[in-house]
Amino acid sequence: MPAIEALLLIILAGGLLTYLVSRLNKTLGMVLTILVSGFAFISVASYAQGAGTEFWNLPLPSILTFELTDTGLFFAVIVTFVFFMVSFFNPYYVSKLRYPSAYGMLFLFALAGSIGVFMTDNMLALFFFFELVVWSSMFLIPMSGAKKPVSWYYGFSALGSFSLLVALLLIYGESGSFDLYTSLNAVSGVTAGFVYTLLVIAGLSKLGGFPVHIWLPRVLGQSPDPVTSVFSGGLEKMGAFVSFLVLVRLTPIGTMIDATGLTVAQYVVATLGALSIVFGTLMAIKQDDAKKLLAYSSMSNGGYIVLAFSIMSTMSVAGGLYHVMAHALASAAAYLAIGAVNRQTGTTKMSELGGMIHKMPLSYLVYLIAIISMAGIPPMGGFISKWLIYQALIGKGLVLLSVAAFFGSIGSFLYVFRPLAALFLGQELPQFKKTIKEAPFFMALPMVILSLLNIATGVVPTYFLEYVNMVMAEAGLAGVPMTDLVIHGTNGDLHAALISGTFAVGVGVAFIIFILLKKSYKVGLMDTYTAANFIYTEELLHYSVNFYAPLERLYDKYTNMMKDFYDNLANKVREIGAFFKYFLYTYKPEITVLWIVLTLIFLLWGDIA
Amino acid sequence: MSAVLLIVIPLLMAFLSILSKKVAPYLLLLTSFASFASLIVDVLPLETITIGGFASPYGIELVFDKYSLFSLLLVDGLFLLVVLTVWFKQKKMASILLVALAGLNGLLLTGDLFNLFVFLEITAISAYLISTTNKQPVHTFHYVVAGTVGSSLYLLGLILLYNMTGTLNMSDMATRLVGVNQMAVALPFLLMFIGLGVEAKLMPFSSWIKGVLGHADSFSGPMIAGVYAAASLFVFGRLLDNVFVISDSLNLVILLSLSLSILAGEAMAYSSTKVREILLFSSVAQAGIAILAFMQGYTEFAMLFVALNASSKVVLFMIFGSVAKQLGTDKVSDMSGLFVNHKWTGFGVTAIILSLLGLPLFVGFTVKLGLLLSLFEDQNILFIAIILISSVVEGVYFIKLLVELWISDKAPKVRISCQFALIAVLVGLVLIALGLYWQPVEQFVDQYLYLRGGWF
Repeated sequence: MPAIEALLLIILAGGLLTYLVSRLNKTLGMVLTILVSGFAFISVASYAQGAGTEFWNLPLPSILTFELTDTGLFFAVIVTFVFFMVSFFNPYYVSKLRYPSAYGMLFLFALAGSIGVFMTDNMLALFFFFELVVWSSMFLIPMSGAKKPVSWYYGFSALGSFSLLVALLLIYGESGSFDLYTSLNAVSGVTAGFVYTLLVIAGLSKLGGFPVHIWLPRVLGQSPDPVTSVFSGGLEKMGAFVSFLVLVRLTPIGTMIDATGLTVAQYVVATLGALSIVFGTLMAIKQDDAKKLLAYSSMSNGGYIVLAFSIMSTMSVAGGLYHVMAHALASAAAYLAIGAVNRQTGTTKMSELGGMIHKMPLSYLVYLIAIISMAGIPPMGGFISKWLIYQALIGKGLVLLSVAAFFGSIGSFLYVFRPLAALFLGQELPQFKKTIKEAPFFMALPMVILSLLNIATGVVPTYFLEYVNMVMAEAGLAGVPMTDLVIHGTNGDLHAALISGTFAVGVGVAFIIFILLKKSYKVGLMDTYTAANFIYTEELLHYSVNFYAPLERLYDKYTNMMKDFYDNLANKVREIGAFFKYFLYTYKPEITVLWIVLTLIFLLWGDIA
Repeated sequence: MSAVLLIVIPLLMAFLSILSKKVAPYLLLLTSFASFASLIVDVLPLETITIGGFASPYGIELVFDKYSLFSLLLVDGLFLLVVLTVWFKQKKMASILLVALAGLNGLLLTGDLFNLFVFLEITAISAYLISTTNKQPVHTFHYVVAGTVGSSLYLLGLILLYNMTGTLNMSDMATRLVGVNQMAVALPFLLMFIGLGVEAKLMPFSSWIKGVLGHADSFSGPMIAGVYAAASLFVFGRLLDNVFVISDSLNLVILLSLSLSILAGEAMAYSSTKVREILLFSSVAQAGIAILAFMQGYTEFAMLFVALNASSKVVLFMIFGSVAKQLGTDKVSDMSGLFVNHKWTGFGVTAIILSLLGLPLFVGFTVKLGLLLSLFEDQNILFIAIILISSVVEGVYFIKLLVELWISDKAPKVRISCQFALIAVLVGLVLIALGLYWQPVEQFVDQYLYLRGGWF
C-alpha cells in the first residue's frame, strides 16, 4: 500500500485522469471514479489494519505531514467507504450532470481532501484540507442546476474553516508547535475559552448543527443524488471529527454545574445539540420532498453526535462515535435508495410518487432497513448508538436533554416512515406503471452492501465497538465494557444478537402466516367511487400531502426564524455596501474632493487630539 | 547596461513613435518586450544609480534593488501582456503607452521624492488618455479631477517635508527624519498618503474608479486596475517601508480607515450586481489589505499579494471587459451561462478567483496563510479577524458569480478571443502550479524575511 502522501497524490492524479478520460468517454470516466475511490478505501482500510505506516519524503509543501491515529483512521475508513459505495452511482448520473468530467475530478478531490483532514497531524494542513474539501465539494452541488445552495454552503463553510483557523492559530500561539495532537491541550485561561468556542463553531457549521444549519437542508435537498449521499454520509462527518477533537480531547471550559455533572460550556453545547435534534425533527416532519426530509433528519442526527460528545462520559462518547458510523451507513443507504427512485422516475416529491414497491422492491427494502436504523429501532446499528447515548443521558440524570433526545427518536418514527408509505407503498400511480424498473445491478450492489452493514452493526455491535474502544483509549477514556456479544451499560446489559434473533423469529412467523393465509385481493384506485362520484384523478387521493397538518400548525410560524436571521444579515451587509456606494462612490468629482478634505481633517484630528 | 535605460528608451521611443503612425505599434511591442526581457535575463546589475554625476542627496537617484526588480518584473510583465493583446487594435495608443511605460518604470525606480511626483504626473496623464478608450468623457474628467487633486496633495506634502528637512532624496530623508518630532511630520505624511491613495484606490479617495473601471473595456480595465494599481501599491510600499515614520496615534487612525476600507469594499462588492463593479470594489478592499501589510512591515507578503491581485485583475478585467462590450451590459444576470460555451476561459477565471479567495491548491492560499501567520506572530488578532470576515463576504459574492457564470440554461452569444482565453488559462495554470509547488514562494519570502524569524 502507498504511503499517505502518495495515496493523496494518486487520488488527485486520478481526479485529473478522470477528467481527461471523461472528455473521451463519460461513462468510462465515472467508472474510473469507482476504481480510484475503491483503491482509496482499500488503502485506508489497510492502514487501519496496521499497514503503510512509513512516510515518503515527497517535495510537498512543508506543512503537509501525516500521522496515523486511531481517531483519524476510524473516521477515514467510514468516509472513504461511503465515497466508494456512492461512486457506483456516478456512471448512472452522467447524463443528468452539467459538467460530468469536472464532476468526476471534483468528486475525487473532495475524497482526497477528506482523507487529508483525518490523517494529518499538522494544524495548518488540517486547514488546508478543510478548505480543499470546501471548494471541491462546493462545485459538486450545482451540477444538476441548483445555484442557491452553493453560496449558502460556502458562507457557512468559510465561517467554519476560518473559526478553525483562528482556533488553531491560538493553540499554536500557546504551544509554539503546529503539531495537532500534542498541542491540543496546551491552551489555558482565556485563550482556552476562545479556542473551545471557535472549534465548536467550526464543528457545528460543518456538521450542520443548530444554529448554523441553514446550508444543510438546501445542499442535501438540491444536489445531485450521489453528492447528497456523499455529503450526508461522508463530508458532514468532518464536522463530527472536529467536534470530537474539541469536545472530547480538549479540557472542557467553564465552571462545573453540580446538578448536571457538566461544565457550563459542555451544557451549552449539549443544548445546541439537543436543539439541532428538535429543530431537525420538526422540520423533517413538514417536508414533502423525500430528500429534504432526510436532510433535516441528517441535521437531527448530527445533533445526537454533538450531544453525545459534549456529555463526555464513556457511554456517550462511544455512542456518539457509533452514531457517526451508523448514521453514515444508514443515511448513505437511504439517500441512495431515494436516488435510485429519482433516477427511474425523475422526482423525489412524495406527493408525486407512490407504489414504487411493486417495481422497485429492492430499493424499498434498502430504504426500510436504513430508516429503521435512523429511527433507532433494533436490530439495526442506529439502535445501538442511541441506546448508548440514552444510557449516558439517563445515567447522568440530564432530564431536559433526555427529553430532546427521546423527542427526536419518536419524531423520527413520524417522518421516516412517511416516504416509505407515500413513496414506496400505496397504489401505483398510472404514469409510472409501465416505465419503471428496479435499479440496475451496479446501483443495487452498494445499496445491498450498505444494508447488510446496517444490519451487521445492529446484530454484532461488539465487533464494531472494539474499534470505537480503540479511539476512546486514544482519547484517554475507558472503553465500553463488553463480554462476547453483550454490552454492559450503566443501567443494564444489551444482548443485541438476542434481540435480533427474537426479531428474526418474529419476522419468520409473520412470513409463515403471510404464506399460509389467503392472498389479498388487489383493488385498483379507480375501482371505487366516493360520495356518489366517480374518481377521475387518482392523485387527489394521495394522502401524503399535509400529512401532519395539525401538528405542523403548532410551529408553522417559527420555522423560518433562523433563515430570516441570515437573510437579514446578508441584507444588512448589502445595505452597508449600498450606503458607502451612495455616499462615497458617486459619479461626481466634487464629492470626491469633499471626502478627501473631510478625511484629511478626520485623520489629522487623530494626531492633534 | 544600466537600469536608467528602462526609463530612457521608452521615452525616446515615445518621441520617435510620433514620427510614424505605422511604425509606432511595432516600436511599442519591441520596447515593452525589451524592457521585460532585460529584467528577465538579468543584464541589469542591482545598484543605486546617480544621475548626472551629482552626489547622492543633491542629484536624482535611481534605486534598483530587489524590491524594484520584483515590482518592475511584475509591472512590465503585465504591461507586455496587455500590450500583446492590443498593440494592433489600439494603434493610436502606441505613443501614449510608451510614455506610460517610461513613467511606470520611473515610478518604481526612483529614489527621489520630487522625481516620484514627476513620474506620478506622467503616468497619470497617460492613464487619463488610456481611460478615454471607454468613451465615457465625463468619467475620464472625474478621473482627471481626482488625480490632479491627489498629486497636488502629494506635492503639498512634499513641499512641507522639504521645508523641514531640506532634502528630497528618499534615503537621506529617512535618516534626517529620525529625530524629528512625529507630530510635525504628520500633516505632510497624511497629504502624501492621501495623494497616493487616490491612485492606489483607497476609500474614500478613489470614487473615480466607479466610473472609469465600471465602464472599462478589455484594454483600459487591465491597464488601470492591474498594471497601474500594482505600480501605485509598490510605490506606497516603498514610501511606507523606507521613508515614512508614522506616529502611533496617526498609525491607529490610518489603520482604522484601512480596516473600514477593507470591510466597506467587500460590502460594496457584495451589494453590486454588475461584474465590473464587483471587481472594482473588491480591488478597493484588496488595496486596503496590501497597504495594511506594507504598513505593518510584512513587505514580502504585501508584494506577493499585490502581484497576485494585479495579475488576477488584469485577466478578469480583460475578459469581462470584452464580454461586456459585446453584450452591451455587464450585469451578472445578463452574463449568466457565459462559461457554458467558453470552458477554457471559464477554467482560467475560476482558478484565478479561487486563488484570490485563498483556497488551497492555488497560490493565493499560501500567500494569505503566510500573511495571516505573520499577523498572528505579532498578535494582530484584530486584523486577522478583519481579513477573515472580509474573506467570507468576498467568497460569497465571488462564488455566486462563478456559479451564475457556469450553471445556466441560457448562454449569451459572445466571442472571447483566443488570446484572452489563452492568457486566462496560462495565468490559471501558473497559479495552480505555484499553489502545489511552494518552493519558489518560500524562497522568495525567505529572501525578504528581514524582519521576522522564518517561514511556518
